[in-house]
Parts: sequence; C-alpha cells; structure tokens
Amino acid sequence: MAHTPLHIVIVGGGSAGWMCAAACAQVLNPQRYRLTLIESDDIGTVGVGEATLPALRDFNTLLRIDESQFMRETRATFKLGIEFRDWDSPGEHYVHPFGSFGQLWGGVEFQHHWMRARQRGLNPAPLEEYSCAVRACRRNAFDFPDLKAPRSTFYGYAYHFDAGLYAQFLRTWARARGVKRVEGQVVDVALNGESGNLTTLTLKSGQKIDGDFFVDASGFRSLLLGDKLGSAWEDWSHWLPCDRAWAVPCERSADFTPFTRSIAQRAGWIWRIPLQHRTGNGYVFASRFVSEDEARATLLGRLDGHALGEPRLLRFRAGRRTNAWKRNCVGIGLASGFLEPLESTSLFLIQQGVQDMLRLLPAPETCGIDERLSGEFNRLSDALYERIRDFLILHYVANRRHGEPLWDLVRNYPLPASLAHKLGLFASRGHVPYFKDGFFSRDSWLAVLFGQGLTPRAYDRLADFIPLDDLDAKLRVLHTRVATHVDGMPSHADVVARHCGEAALLRQVAMT
Amino acid sequence: MIQDLVLVGRDAPVWLAACVMQSALGPAGLRVSVVELPGLLGPADTYATLPALEPLHARLRIDEGRLMAATRGAFTLGRYFHDSTGQAPAFFHAYGSTGARIDNTEFLPNWIKARHFGLPVAFEDFCLTAAAARHGRMLVPDAEIERHGFTDYGYHLPAIPYGTWLKQLALRRGVSMHETRELGVLMKADAPDIAGVVLDDGRRVMGDFFIDATGVGALLLAETLGVRRDSWRDAFPADRVLVAHAPPIPSLPAYADVRAGETGWLAVHPNQACTHVIHAYSSETPEHAAIVNAGHLARLELSGTKIRGSDPGRRVVAWQRNCVGIGEAACAFDPIHGVDLQAVQLGLVHLLPLFPVDADYAVERSEYNKNLKAAFERIRDFQSAHYVLNRYGGAFWERARLSPVSRGLMRKIGVFRARGSVVHYEDESFSIDDWQALLLGHGVLPETWDPAADRISPESLKEELRRILGFIRRKVEEQRSHARYLQDACAPASQHTLNRS
Repeated sequence: MAHTPLHIVIVGGGSAGWMCAAACAQVLNPQRYRLTLIESDDIGTVGVGEATLPALRDFNTLLRIDESQFMRETRATFKLGIEFRDWDSPGEHYVHPFGSFGQLWGGVEFQHHWMRARQRGLNPAPLEEYSCAVRACRRNAFDFPDLKAPRSTFYGYAYHFDAGLYAQFLRTWARARGVKRVEGQVVDVALNGESGNLTTLTLKSGQKIDGDFFVDASGFRSLLLGDKLGSAWEDWSHWLPCDRAWAVPCERSADFTPFTRSIAQRAGWIWRIPLQHRTGNGYVFASRFVSEDEARATLLGRLDGHALGEPRLLRFRAGRRTNAWKRNCVGIGLASGFLEPLESTSLFLIQQGVQDMLRLLPAPETCGIDERLSGEFNRLSDALYERIRDFLILHYVANRRHGEPLWDLVRNYPLPASLAHKLGLFASRGHVPYFKDGFFSRDSWLAVLFGQGLTPRAYDRLADFIPLDDLDAKLRVLHTRVATHVDGMPSHADVVARHCGEAALLRQVAMT
Repeated sequence: MIQDLVLVGRDAPVWLAACVMQSALGPAGLRVSVVELPGLLGPADTYATLPALEPLHARLRIDEGRLMAATRGAFTLGRYFHDSTGQAPAFFHAYGSTGARIDNTEFLPNWIKARHFGLPVAFEDFCLTAAAARHGRMLVPDAEIERHGFTDYGYHLPAIPYGTWLKQLALRRGVSMHETRELGVLMKADAPDIAGVVLDDGRRVMGDFFIDATGVGALLLAETLGVRRDSWRDAFPADRVLVAHAPPIPSLPAYADVRAGETGWLAVHPNQACTHVIHAYSSETPEHAAIVNAGHLARLELSGTKIRGSDPGRRVVAWQRNCVGIGEAACAFDPIHGVDLQAVQLGLVHLLPLFPVDADYAVERSEYNKNLKAAFERIRDFQSAHYVLNRYGGAFWERARLSPVSRGLMRKIGVFRARGSVVHYEDESFSIDDWQALLLGHGVLPETWDPAADRISPESLKEELRRILGFIRRKVEEQRSHARYLQDACAPASQHTLNRS
C-alpha cells in the first residue's frame, strides 16, 4: 500500500496546535501521514493559567507522558473540582467535584435517597459531605484515587498548569517525534478553484507550503476555517454575554487549593487557579455592564498575593462555527468556537476535537476529503458544544442574584429548549440528565443544580424500597466512610512537593 | 399521589409489565392490578429475545434454570442468516464481540486493513460467540474469555408457557387480577383522563394511572385516547407472518437459523419441547403458497400453522394523559430480529425513573415520549438495514432494497462504508458489535480504516490474527454442548450447583 503520505498542515502553535501535533505524531504512521506545524513567535497565544478536566489524563496517557515530569515542567498542581462562590447569592458557595455523591442503592441514584431522608425527617448531613472530592477540597487535601476503593469514595482528578508551558512541553515532545515546525506568519491562503479545497499557504517570508489536509489552530482569527472557507459563525452571546477577560498572575499564597475557584461578580466572574510557583487570576466580564478599567481594578483588588506583571486583556465572543470541519480543513480549539472557561472546558474541547479528527481522518488514498467523515465529525462536535453550552448557561440562570443587570438579562432570556426541559425534570423529581455523547456527567449536573440553590419538589418513589431505619443507618455508615477516607489524605501542598517538586527530581536522579 | 395502577392487556407483555411495576413500586405503596384480556398468541409462538432480557429477569429475581425448565425454552447465542436463493454469502450475528484489541487498537480496523491486503478469513470467524454456536456449544465465560472480549446470550421462550410463568410470579408477588373478554372505559368527569375500566360482568376497576398492553389495537391509548399511528409499512416488505411448530431438533442448536427465500424469510427457533418456525412474507403470495414455501424453507414437518398480519408502526406518543402504552400498543415491529420483548422492556425501564410522583407529570411525559421515540426508531433502523442492504434474489428482496431509509440510518451506513466506524446514537438497543455484524454481514466492506491501525506491522498483525483464531478453537473445544448445558441449567437447584462446579 505504497502511496504518497497525506500532508497535514497545522496552522497555529498554542495548546490547540501542539496538542493536535503531538497526538498525530503518536497515533499516525509516518509513512502514511506527514506533519507540519506553522507558528509565529510574533503572535501571542491565549494560554494563561489553565484549569483542566480529568479527561486530560487520558490524553497524556495516549502520549505516554510521565506525570511527574509533565507536572514539574508545566508547574502543575492537582485539581479535584471547582469551588463556586457567591453564584447562587453572595455568601453562598459549593464545589462541583470530579467525583460522585454517595452511591446507588438498589439501582436508584443517591440524590433520591438523600432527598427522601430529608423529607422524612432523618436529618442527613448536607449532600456535599457524601462526596470525597468535596470534603478533600474543604481540607485542601489531595491523594491519588484508589482504584480498588468502593464507588462511594470514588473521585477523579485533573490539573492546573501553565498553558504556555504545556504547549512548549508538547512542542518538544512532538518535534522529537518528527513533527516539522516552520516559523512564520501565514499571509495568504490559496484554494483549488474547482474543488474549493485549501491547497497552499504563503508565509510572510514568501515561503509556500502545500498541504492535503489542514488543521486550523489559529485561535480566534480562524484564518482558514472562518476567513477563507467561510464556515458560518453561530452566535451564543445572548445566552453567555461575557466578552472580555483580564488575566494576571500573582504570588503563590498560603491557600494552596486542590481546586479552581470561581467567584461571581456583578458583571461576570473571577477565576483563581493555583500553580506551583504562582496563582493565575482573571476576571471574565461582559463589557456592556462594566468598563474595562473598572474590571481591571476589581481584579487587582481581589488578588491574594502581589501581582506579577500587568494584567492582559482578552476579547472573545461565545459561539461556534456551524461546520467545525469544512472541505479539507478542521478547526481545533478557538478557531472552531469559544465557550467561557467557567467549567474548564477549553482544553477538553481541543482534546475531543483532536481525538475525533484522528479517528475520522481521510486516508492518503482519498485526497483529503470525504463528506461522510466530516459530517460525522460535525455531528459529534455539535452535541459536545451544545451540551457544554447548556451546562454553562445553567450557572447564570439558576440563582438568586436579582437586580444585577447581567444576571437579570440572562435569566430573562428564553432558554435553549434542551436546557429548559432538563431544569423541569430536576424541579419535578430530582431527575438529572445522562448522555452517552458529550458532557457533563450526572454528578456534575447534580452538584451544580443543588449548588445553585434549586430544590426538587419530590424524590423518585423507586427509593421507597429501603425501610427508613435502614436508610438512616446506611447514610451514617456512608458518611463515616467518606469522612475517614478524607481524614487520611495528606495536604495538597505536600503531595505536589513530593510528586513533582525538586525532591522528586532528586529522587529520580539518585535512581539513575 | 398515584396509588392505583391498572394494567390492561394480554399475554406475556402485560405480565412482564405487572412484575416489573410491582417489584419496583410496590414498596412505595403502589397497588398494581391487571385486567387480563384473552390471549392472542398460540402454541406456535415463541419469543426469540435479545440479551437485555436476562438482567431484567435478574432484577425480578427470576431463577433462570427454573424458568427454562418450566417453559421448555432454549438459550441462543445469536442468529445465523443464510440464503436459499444462492445469491448472498451467509453470516452470523452473534451476541458477542469479535476479535480482540491489537496493540491497543480496536479489532475491526485491523481486520479491514488485513482484508484490503487480501486476508481470506471472514470477520465472524474471529467471533468466539459465533464459533461456539456454530459448533453446537453454549458459551460460558471464564476469566480468560472475559479478558478476551464480550459475550452474552438471549433466550427462545415459548410464548404461552412464558406468559403463564410471569402471571404466576406476578400473582405471588401481590398483583391482583381480573379477567374479562370485553372492555369498557370510564373517563374522568373533569378531565379527558381515564378513570377506570368496566369488565364484561359489569364490575369496575378504577385507577389513577393506566398501562395499555393490549397489543397493536391499543384499546386505551388509541381507541380511547385517540393517539395516532406513524406507519412504517413502506419500510418493510413483509405484511404477513406465518407461525408453526415442528418436532424438536436432535442436537439442539444454540442459535436461530434465518433463511432467505424468494418470497420472504423463515426463522427456525430451536426449543426443548418443539421447534418454533416463523415465516414473514408479502400478501402478494397467496396463503396456500406461503404454507408450501414455509415447509420448503423449514425442511421440517410443520403443524399448528397460524397466519396473521404484520403492520409495523409507532404510536406518535407512547404516553398520553394518564396512560402509557407498552409493547405493541406503543410500537409494533417487523418480526426480523425478534424485538417484541425488547420493546416491552424499553417501555418499562424508561417508565420507572419517570413514573409520576404526583399529579403534575407533564415534563416526565414529554421526556418519556422523546426517549421512546428515539429508542424505537433506532430498533427500526437496525431492522430496516437488514432489508435495504440485502443481496438476496427474488422480487420480495428487490422491493426491500428500495425501501425508504431514515436519515440516521443513511448516515450510519455511509460512515461505516467510508471508515468502518459505527455511528452509535443515544438510545440504541443494538450494540456496536451488533451493527458491525449486520453491516459486514450484508457486504458493506469499509473503504478505509481508523489510521490508528496503521502503525501495526503486517507481521505482528498476522501473528495476532492467528493467535485469536487459535484461542477461539481452544475455547470452543472446552465448552459444553447446548443440550448438555440446558440439562444442567434446568436441573433442580442443588444439583445445579454440583454440575457447574
């Protein structure tokens, strides 16, 4: 099966470009696929302190990346969830954990047993106390999940890291495996007049690069997919009006959390992401409701350490390209759409896009285009974007922040029918959606729905099979088991230092 | 609060529904009663079930051995499709996975690649479940088999004894029963909801909520509440079904044998007490000719022959007002792949977590109707693929090839042909393994494969394929015959344990 290798050209060298290049280098056979990545040192990347989802570990596993080396080089810390402060109303807070609440009993989800216990006067502990991940967050503790532990103490974890360093890490990794890097800025994109396929990119230097298949990882510019191929933009800013962010790092503080913090503001929300050497901060805001200057001042006033440098302003808009794959071009990352990082989905969207693209990539024999494959990619991408979108909107509509223009605006705008339906089911009986494709999991919906102050009218009657005395006893045992499990965990700071600090490095040196 | 649930219906579906509702919601104080109408099934009818029924039985704490002993049914590892018109190669649709991961990549892309390089071994030859079935064995997974892949089984359950068994179980568990030949319906005074039903002796059975398991006619859902039907007539070439039985087959196969003939197809379902045969055809063939054709295709002495219509289609909503249609009352399927009980089961498992907690259940109803529509259409697509992709000879099959295809199925076939990847939607009853077997079986050979398989060298691929074939040969040898397995399974419990150890 000797055929000229299919030449894949990736435009853009941020996290999207290098995650794509690295996965391609790992999975594809170099005799069938050739890789070139074009990036310009003159163009900045959006990469700031980045919070991720547990799925990123699968991506690193695919690349067979050593966790402790990766964490050291990207200055990473562990993440068990996100703490939302003041979202329901000022003073309230909850954690959206990467883990379960309680366990199924008799095939019936835990929230029904818990609601039943409450309604029948058993006085169970607050829901979050039945989650290992939440309790660990409350204690700034961390430990690696024990895969053999019972489901009731199950949790997953992700990372916080410096996205710029992650891109560099992957760049080194991918170049060592044969990805060709070309330095330069794309100034012209040529199409084949007949097929409409992309053919050649011209760089500022005059260099021309021909390709069979193109990955647009050029960020918000969407040079190929948006500018050249005109893949239509579907605007979602009426549901998610935030359109700016100030980002600034500050010195690491004593509060070394194994979670991201998101604090609601009058015109948006502030993130706080702890890294090994500093803390990443940002204020995502709607410019209609607060001036850039005021937002900047608000952010600087909320830092829990000295600012390291001047805040940087980012501009964006919520929405996505209706065809993330058009002709012989796939958009990965911001080139295909943007959703604010409220639930740390940026790198997840990149990862999922890359993995689906790899599975559906044209064969070298078929000259780069097959609408059956691109159609399937777009179907999956639609489901993913829409479900994450609904989950984000949920945070803005389920709350008691009345009288604040941003919040009132979103709350009064008609919801996507898919989200209104989910809210109705939860309100009626604590029913939580479950999807095969897309995101988020049942436990995630549960955490946010309850966390934002919603209370179902009733529990599912299927829970009634447990006699009340037994239920009381089961809840107590579970509560103790979760507490004991978490009490034995070391502090997050200790685990990070042991696992990927200098001590770990020295240990490795000693072993070699 | 809903206190009284009344199920109206007949045959196994109403009793399966009663068992499930009673065991799940009896503890919550729900009172379950069944109004039983005369059955429409006879000794020639059998359910050829999908693997999903076994876990439902387990939830009902049904002892499999006792069930098989009482119904004189059999186990099945899948369906063997072959062609008496001599046009298309045979294939096995087994209830198990095929091959094993090679160097951490899926098996199918590796097989496609090998096929394009000239590998002469069919996909199903790498399926342990299919191999066991074709050698007359049952397959009992051990640790080695579980590491290798996935395997499952369904049942052949003679319809009358199975219904009787479920009925006894329901009554033992506290379901109350009323028998009637005719049915009247009472509506509420203040809403277009059902208030109760009137039996032929004039007694009334009142309820808060109703399940209609009366069959295609849907006495409550359609006759009373006026729910329309979305006909699937055009998608399926058969509108007649003939059932019959024959003496048992000596060395009992653990699979259904489905034969294509020029005027339709015929399936042979081996059971302990007798062999059940079903023949689907078009009414263009006169009845007497259909009986002759069935005899030819079956190559068995047929008796108890019964013929009835087949009219696939779905009620536009399965839940209307305070009534849920279960089984054929909600959706009637073509008889290929034997999905009748799967439809009953889907209706029930979707209903349980949405069963009304109070009088305000509009949102539950809309969720239920949305889910069921999707689930039913996915099954229809699987059946539809069997017809539109066929390569059999004769006018019946020619017409089948021209049947309309849903967009979802079109996409599925397209993506599979392009890449060998199964588009697996939400709410699928058939697994990716099932779809692979069906699509490849009907000759949809993918043009390309997942590039992840490209890194494996031809030598190690060959080595792995050999290893898998060797493993299958060895494991098949270790299995008991289906007949022996049945004998052990049906033995009384104490002996049962002995035989297994």
